[in-house]
Amino acid sequence: MTIFDIFTNQLLNGIVLGSFYALVALGYTMVFGVVKLLNFAHGELYMVGGFAGFLLLSFLAPYLGPGWFGVAVSMVLAMIAVGFLGVVIERVAYAPMLSAPRLSILITALAVSLVLQNGMLTLTKGQYVPFGAALGFGGVRLGSLFISYNQMVLVGVAGALMLGLELFVSRTQYGRAMRAIAVDKDMSRLMGINVNAVIAVTFFLGSALAAAAGTMAGAYYGSLWYFMGFLIGLKAFTAAVIGGIGSIPGAMLGGLILGLLESFGTQLPGVGSEWKDVFSFSVLILVLVFKPTGLLGKPEQERM
Amino acid sequence: MRNVMKTAAGLALAIVLGMPAIAQDKLTIGIMVPTTGSEATYGQDMANAVNLAIGEINAAGGVLGKQLTSTVGDDGCDAQLAVNAASKLAASGVVGVVGGYCSGATIPTLKIYGDAKIPLIIPAANSTKLIPENPGNAFMINSTGNDQVAKAIEYFNGKGIKSIAIINQGDAYSQDLADLTKKNWEAAGNKVTNFEVTNKGEQDYSAVVTAITSANPDAVFWTAYYADGGLLIRQLRERGYQGLIAVGDGSNSPELFKIAGPAAEGVIAFSNPTAEFLPQAKAFADAYQKQFGAAPGPYSTLSYDAMKLLAWAINTAGTTDSAKVIETLQGANFTDTISGPISFTPEKTLARSNFVVLQGKGGAWTLAQ
Repeated sequence: MTIFDIFTNQLLNGIVLGSFYALVALGYTMVFGVVKLLNFAHGELYMVGGFAGFLLLSFLAPYLGPGWFGVAVSMVLAMIAVGFLGVVIERVAYAPMLSAPRLSILITALAVSLVLQNGMLTLTKGQYVPFGAALGFGGVRLGSLFISYNQMVLVGVAGALMLGLELFVSRTQYGRAMRAIAVDKDMSRLMGINVNAVIAVTFFLGSALAAAAGTMAGAYYGSLWYFMGFLIGLKAFTAAVIGGIGSIPGAMLGGLILGLLESFGTQLPGVGSEWKDVFSFSVLILVLVFKPTGLLGKPEQERM
Repeated sequence: MRNVMKTAAGLALAIVLGMPAIAQDKLTIGIMVPTTGSEATYGQDMANAVNLAIGEINAAGGVLGKQLTSTVGDDGCDAQLAVNAASKLAASGVVGVVGGYCSGATIPTLKIYGDAKIPLIIPAANSTKLIPENPGNAFMINSTGNDQVAKAIEYFNGKGIKSIAIINQGDAYSQDLADLTKKNWEAAGNKVTNFEVTNKGEQDYSAVVTAITSANPDAVFWTAYYADGGLLIRQLRERGYQGLIAVGDGSNSPELFKIAGPAAEGVIAFSNPTAEFLPQAKAFADAYQKQFGAAPGPYSTLSYDAMKLLAWAINTAGTTDSAKVIETLQGANFTDTISGPISFTPEKTLARSNFVVLQGKGGAWTLAQ
């Protein structure tokens, strides 16, 4: 392989990895934008989403087949199921705490994360679960670059979901309400916006996106386990911060950047896989030093 | 009311004071294994095997004429939990401990058992990092990383392999194995094309896989555990890597086939002797199956042998005095085992290599060659 071939291959790896990060980062950023909560349970929703997709697929596979169609239907159903789980979590664990000090709700989020993780540990007894999708290994070859259909579909679906979310937030009434609450919750309430309903919608969408990423990861990588949400939750949070937490385009950009940094970091001489996390987190620190609000974050304006 | 309290307190005191007297007609063996956490199944298999051995020893008259009993300390494959478990076992007056599965969790317990002068037989943990930490009371009956590396290099040479990629996860066990392999492989004039480290729990290995396929080594050696190894093997084969894939003994699990699927076909594993590959272990496997309703795990044989060895050492020394027991162990040439004869180097590691080469065939491990 020439340097150029390696470059294009790592570019592709970075885009695929970045799509996962971006999808999960969106949930972090939306929830933070609207309720100013770092939802540390978000990575766990990705994990639960993967298992939900797996369960649904094992029910649906006899009728729809384990191929693309079956996985797509399972993914949509898993998104709905986990979306509602997100709303339930918000109602049970976060809503009573919204007016409490920030630290209390942060700890609640950690607790929810532990409950989901250990709940799944008990259910699966810590075993790996093979996902059971049959997507085939076909693809297109461009020189030494092999792009599988799976990768195309994955990046395409991730892109479509992100575009859909962007349109939802910028064009619909709920989206406008979300943006209004992000600016000033109390004033929005006075203006007649049903704040609780909008927060519920925010959690639903964020959790559904995480579930989409979880199901796709299960189908793409082939197996699930209860701990799979931890690392990606951490990475997605980093992506959200790089892009500017609270900013939706920022989360997409941050996810992509982090994915690319990790792929290229692995290949860079002197960095390598051993130092790739040091490399990408150094970039995070640099971004925060020069632009504390993240790449696309807007500085907070305090009006007197 | 006050009288009732007084009586209760007196009773409790009497029970506490009476305990050593009751305990004296039995000898207690400590078992330190992970019974919770990600490695819990292995730990349970090991504890079962030790208890099976204790049952047989007791049926044959016990040790020094006394019956044996056991108490389990859960190390959770975690350094901090392991220290707690070891302190608890050391304080409970055990005459010896069988245990140690995760090297990283076992290392900090060595000093505790050393200070308490308790003989420790380690059936599984085999990182060479344990050797310099050993205060002199610990005996490793699993071949160490050095032996595994020797076996691996011997196998690679036999297959005409000239260049390898080594991948580990940066923990005590996998890094030790990776570093040793790199050192010895390069010392023999061969080439290491990639030396990669991945995070535990990562799902996407595409960047590492591209780095490896672009260097195209003759073989890839994964030195960490099966869970992430399965994902890596799958992604290597999906991206068209054609060379040999080998894994260390931490990946010797049937679970690997569940995760990697058909990609694990032909994968080579270096493994300590497990019951299914030892013809002489048939009776043990049957007894184990009968008592626990499951097949023995990968470290059950060694745990069973460890318990037999400890009982033999105490009987031979004729006392539970730890200095005498340790002296006996050091000079041991113990053959009443199922995994092969046990004797020790001056470093208190097994004096021979017990590694076998396995190959993935039809979704299960078989003996290679």
